[in-house]
Amino acid sequence: MTSGMKWRSIAPAAAAALLVLLFVGRAGRPWVEFGPQQRVITTNPKMGVHTRLTDEVEPWKIQRTFEMVREMGATWVVEYFLWAAHEPQRGVYDWSHADLVVDHAVNQGLTVIARLGYVPEWARPKDATHLYLDEEGYAAFARFAAAFARHFEGRVHYIIVWNEPNLSQEWGYRRPDPAEYTQLLRAAYAAIKAEAPQIQVLGGALAPTLAPAGSEWAMDDLVYLQGMYDAGAKDAFDILAAHAYGWTFAADAEPGRDSVNWRRVELLREIMVQNGDGDKQVMITEGGWNDHPRWTKAVRPAQRVANSVAAYDMVLGSWPWVDAVCLWAFRYPRPARTYQDYYTFVDGDFRPKPIYEALQRYAAGQDWRGDQ
Amino acid sequence: MLLLAAGLILFVVLGRGGTLKEIQARGVWRVGMDPSFPPFENYDPVTGGPVGLDVELAHAISEQWGIKTEIVTLGFDELIDAVAAHQVDAAISAMPILPERTEDVRFSDPYVQAGVVLAVRKGSDLAGPAGLSGQGVAVEWGSQGEAAARALRENESIAFELLPRETVTLALDALAAGEADAAIVDAISLAIYTHAGELATVGEPLVSDPYVVVVPADAPDLLKVVNDALRALESDGTLDEIRARWLRPAPS
Repeated sequence: MTSGMKWRSIAPAAAAALLVLLFVGRAGRPWVEFGPQQRVITTNPKMGVHTRLTDEVEPWKIQRTFEMVREMGATWVVEYFLWAAHEPQRGVYDWSHADLVVDHAVNQGLTVIARLGYVPEWARPKDATHLYLDEEGYAAFARFAAAFARHFEGRVHYIIVWNEPNLSQEWGYRRPDPAEYTQLLRAAYAAIKAEAPQIQVLGGALAPTLAPAGSEWAMDDLVYLQGMYDAGAKDAFDILAAHAYGWTFAADAEPGRDSVNWRRVELLREIMVQNGDGDKQVMITEGGWNDHPRWTKAVRPAQRVANSVAAYDMVLGSWPWVDAVCLWAFRYPRPARTYQDYYTFVDGDFRPKPIYEALQRYAAGQDWRGDQ
Repeated sequence: MLLLAAGLILFVVLGRGGTLKEIQARGVWRVGMDPSFPPFENYDPVTGGPVGLDVELAHAISEQWGIKTEIVTLGFDELIDAVAAHQVDAAISAMPILPERTEDVRFSDPYVQAGVVLAVRKGSDLAGPAGLSGQGVAVEWGSQGEAAARALRENESIAFELLPRETVTLALDALAAGEADAAIVDAISLAIYTHAGELATVGEPLVSDPYVVVVPADAPDLLKVVNDALRALESDGTLDEIRARWLRPAPS
């Protein structure tokens, strides 16, 4: 699955949300009590989820999201921070919504992995998509990434540079080019490190895809990663961000260059080792299974639960080279009304789905099957 | 040289057109879809090409205009952006209406209602959700149907027993076999259920979810002719035929 799926609809809603928060933010931050510092109790400290709070307006929902993530037993969260929202004018920063998100996550004892992207109008040609950034804009993005690192130093320790650049759509409908992405990554890496050397920079975040050579829409993620190394990316990231979707395969299904499944991430790891990068860690920043009744890449709900438990367990027990695994997606602010709703762990009203309850039991060291 | 470079950049940025005039000049309507969602679009195991309700609908619409349809296969999540950026002329792929995207794209009149419905056995006295009090309601575990059922219990204070089943088919089997008094499922799963003929929906959809054709926001002429074509296909019975062909009970 192309993970970009989840962000297509957020721009106008995010803009509206941020307007509301700007207004409220001027009066301080009285909207919810943060409460005492919490900590996650879990048997699997690598367990995480990708939250989706970019266009979540109400502070209590942001807080409730992170409370429920903690209560499920997950330690890590990936969240998306929109360059366009946080630097609406060149050099003018607005961190109000991002502060709210990060502070609530930290208050719940969670570790934030910040994904940066989404180009402001002032940094791209007129009528280009919000994911279009050519070489002329790389320095501007790097300055934003540095400003983000400076502002969140001590609260955010991991930054992902861009998302799924091996998809044409995520690359502003330019042909995916690992050398160009490496240029962007190198610029952002240097800028972040200059501000906050201890922040770990994640590169890649490639979409698992079997796109044929020469496709105008996408480039095979394995080919793309090698292309990044060929372009000199080795010194431009600290950790590889990977996306690991299982589709219809069980978590333990054998990986292969012609298969998209959970263990395809092992092939990414092989490429790292082949390029002398075996000492680097991997973080799975998207992934998981879908249980829609009719989508051909979905499994049954019980299979989704079993696969997810197995995946978290595999990372904990057998993949020492993976630090964190954040499955897509904890909750959508509003229903997508497509098969995408069947990736979530709780519904829009925070009702836990069976997978939430099973993972909660798993993280607590209980029999995750419960009485189902 | 400078002009040429500027032209190339503009091409990359704006894509390949998509207004009615450009489509007519090209003689081909480029329709994006993700062939992973039967019975709307899926790869035919024999031919390898995309087949389904949406494929037939796309061809039927373009036939109204006397031009051909070219199916462009894309990931579902790419479709709206691909339309907005004129990478394709339209998307027909079991797409819902997304109010938050109306700055970028426009949504046609609906051609299928795919929401969550209340199903009962034919001849049941149940006439709607209000009658569910004290009844047993089958749902697919973790589905939108289950969420709608829980919302009914919590928000409408209708007290009924929830009977979760592992799949939507098993939920409908429970209803057909009399183990449940009703089922709350999505309308498409009900339509293609093997024993759908023994069941009926009652009341309005609990969750309305119409599927529509998506066109670029800056091509109002295209939206108009798409809606005109949908109306024409509805009037002459073509749309009914297409729906009947693809939204029918699966053989037992």
